[in-house]
Amino acid sequence: MVALVPSLLRQELANLAAQDQRIDGRAQFEARELTLETDCLYNAEGSAKVTWGDTIIYAGVKFEMRTPWPDRPAQGSLMCSAELRPIAGRKYEPGPPSPESIELSRVVDRGIRESNCIDMDKLCIIPGEKVLGVMIDIHVLSDQGNIFDACALGAIAALRTAIVPAERFDIGEDYPLTVSMTPTMASFTRVGGRYVLDANEEEELGGDERIHITLGDEGHLHSLQKGLRGTLTPAEFAEILEVAQSRCAELAELVNSKEA
Amino acid sequence: MGGYGDIQLLREDGLRLDGRKVDEMREVVIEAGVLPAADGSAWVKHGLNIAVCAVYGPMEAHPRKIQRQDRAVIDVRYNMAPFSTSDRIRPGFNRRSREISKVTAEALESVVLVERYPRSKIRVEIEILAAEAGTRCVGLTAAAVALADAGIPMRDMIVGVAAGKVEDTVVLDLDKAEDNYGQADLPMGILPTTGEIAFLQMDGDLSVEEYNTCLEYNMKAAKEIHAIQIDALKRRYEQKMGGGV
Repeated sequence: MVALVPSLLRQELANLAAQDQRIDGRAQFEARELTLETDCLYNAEGSAKVTWGDTIIYAGVKFEMRTPWPDRPAQGSLMCSAELRPIAGRKYEPGPPSPESIELSRVVDRGIRESNCIDMDKLCIIPGEKVLGVMIDIHVLSDQGNIFDACALGAIAALRTAIVPAERFDIGEDYPLTVSMTPTMASFTRVGGRYVLDANEEEELGGDERIHITLGDEGHLHSLQKGLRGTLTPAEFAEILEVAQSRCAELAELVNSKEA
Repeated sequence: MGGYGDIQLLREDGLRLDGRKVDEMREVVIEAGVLPAADGSAWVKHGLNIAVCAVYGPMEAHPRKIQRQDRAVIDVRYNMAPFSTSDRIRPGFNRRSREISKVTAEALESVVLVERYPRSKIRVEIEILAAEAGTRCVGLTAAAVALADAGIPMRDMIVGVAAGKVEDTVVLDLDKAEDNYGQADLPMGILPTTGEIAFLQMDGDLSVEEYNTCLEYNMKAAKEIHAIQIDALKRRYEQKMGGGV
């Protein structure tokens, strides 16, 4: 069964691709409908819910006061962690973080970190003694394809609407976290031999390698990742990069529209 | 129970800090069928608590040592999201969540007709997204709706409710301050139709009279929450049938 179904599915997906079609009727570079809600979780200092097709994720931001790393005494820290808990789907099992969930966390983390949208110097309260740590936790509740883009979107939206609980830490009045940029991700999966944007569950099951592109303001690249078995040509990358440019700009606009 | 005497939890007029009467519960909102990946699911907002529950199965029980020849086993995972409390929780199981998962599973096994599915497993995944006292009860309420949404036969629903004591007064459905500084907490899982108790914990200090009042309050709240559970399932069912009855 396990071997047979994906091979039938692969054949079906290849036939559709040959006719420039997708299994759910979308165009090659068309994404599913999505909704973004922010400020939706009591107790989180910033939060977002992303419903992306049938994929659902929540992201929550918490702050903690900690002592700085010895080599960076005047800088705060940022950590982004995505949990693929067993609630997300039948295939997920309890246990320590899987390689997949570690990859997801790190790819989303890099996109935000490398864009430098958070000024680590501004998170310093007392050099050498007290700095703020920003923790973004992402909870995948329903995985029906392309959790990477959904998690990246939820993470930046939660971050951009986060309020630093300064009163709780006795360092003055609460204030909004400064986030200078809106990095967003566009992911492509090879399905039936060609790349499609925003693969759904079936396309991921019967597809090959995936490419994750995180772009910041002005379309600069901040994080790239190729996952799973397969290769791509520079020409293919150039094509999807162009699609990612317009897609990421759209997503950034959506996130920016949510700011308080 | 903290039992600190210096925090005032009841107002001069006899109402509670959030304006509720002693036997009044927080607002409860329930949606069934919220997670497309799951076989059954539910979203419950109880006061400021938010719990989401997914049910997968019945499916093959593995590892095999957990299999029961005569019935299904219910595998519950109760987990609090890192951002669900005021101080971030480190991800992963802890002793508290393991205990709650265990007693929740046993409560659900008392209502699900597990003997219909020998050698199988039913996975119940409870995620607490926002916590404001009483999350184990909210999780239980959500699990019952998710099981029903998955079409798994049960002899009754289960409702999670808690009553307790603050300033020597019995109150229904403790909020965060009352939970932290109150004198007792009595969470129960109640079968609303029969009035049986499938989940029972308690800590603090209660006289027999106070216990009886707690029980009375819990039973009353169970009926109210049960009506909200049924309403959520009916709305879900109507949606599935394409709207309207």
